[in-house]
Amino acid sequence: MTRQGPPASAAGPAVECYLAEVAGRLPGPDRGRDGIVAELRSGLLDAMDAYQSAGLPTDQAVQAAIREFGDPGRVADGFRAEIAAAQARRVVVTLLVTGPLVGLLWIATAMSSHLGIRFAVPWQRAGLGASLGTGLGTGLLLVAVAVGVTAWAGVIGIASTGRLTRWLTAPPRLAPTAAAVAGFGAVSADSLGLVLLAVQLAAVPGKLSPVPAIAAAAASVTRLLLARRAARQCLALRASLA
Amino acid sequence: MRAEALKGHLDGILLAVLEAGPCHGYAIMEALRVRSGGQVDLPTGTVYPALHRLERAGLVRASWSEAGGRRRRVYELTPAGLRSLDTERGAWRDFSATVTTLLRPAPLATRASP
Repeated sequence: MTRQGPPASAAGPAVECYLAEVAGRLPGPDRGRDGIVAELRSGLLDAMDAYQSAGLPTDQAVQAAIREFGDPGRVADGFRAEIAAAQARRVVVTLLVTGPLVGLLWIATAMSSHLGIRFAVPWQRAGLGASLGTGLGTGLLLVAVAVGVTAWAGVIGIASTGRLTRWLTAPPRLAPTAAAVAGFGAVSADSLGLVLLAVQLAAVPGKLSPVPAIAAAAASVTRLLLARRAARQCLALRASLA
Repeated sequence: MRAEALKGHLDGILLAVLEAGPCHGYAIMEALRVRSGGQVDLPTGTVYPALHRLERAGLVRASWSEAGGRRRRVYELTPAGLRSLDTERGAWRDFSATVTTLLRPAPLATRASP
């Protein structure tokens, strides 16, 4: 990966101390924070150069540049909405891209399993008692609802952070809210899928095709954990905009 | 002039600075000061996040580039950014013409008598 921005050592301790204060007040994951800090560092060095060209000695030029950039808290505050929008967009794009892939693994599991019905999903009623079959049917419906909620929240998240913002101004809290909803929707869909798979495994053992079932379960567990963390981050970002 | 006074026009102003060519964040802040004769001095916490927002909207493109041994994030207008700037200019001309007309002192004869 290409390194972003100038090296920290070029900036001097006063600049690094200032940047650390800004970074400490920036919400969100490290990745977004590092890019912002690198950009501010190069800006501070440019400001320092300008003051030196105007005749100030180095130490005074550094102090003047820091004064010009202003209170670290206010600088960080300025970035809050942008960090929330950028992180929300990353989360919903990831969910919308991985969703169909995880879904395909589940479909592959269903199609390659020996459930007695062609194209049956793993939790199909084949060989199950009536009450268990009804329960699994309801579970499948809930999975569909969770997938639908995730997709809609994802679309809102994309719309409120992308090119539509040229014409529409979205409230700052909309994108992180949509991303959190999409994240928890994905967590629900994956959790329900895993529960239904476990029930199927217990009720009619030996009927599932192991390789695709394990792949689908592993993909869902991974996505579930990542989506839960991302959704919590988005909720925290949303709270930071209050 | 404070950032609040420019509310609603910040995007157009930043796009106008970039119309001259690609620029990094600090150079944009300096260009605003110079072009306004020192009247506009926008804070860091306003300019940099606004540039990121314009990038997300596809109105500017940003990339890291190295010059004189220093790496900087350089912004440039996209074709959509140029179109948006034209629209902003047109809207501002209409708005300022209307307000100028409304603020013009009325001729004595037409002034309402008490």
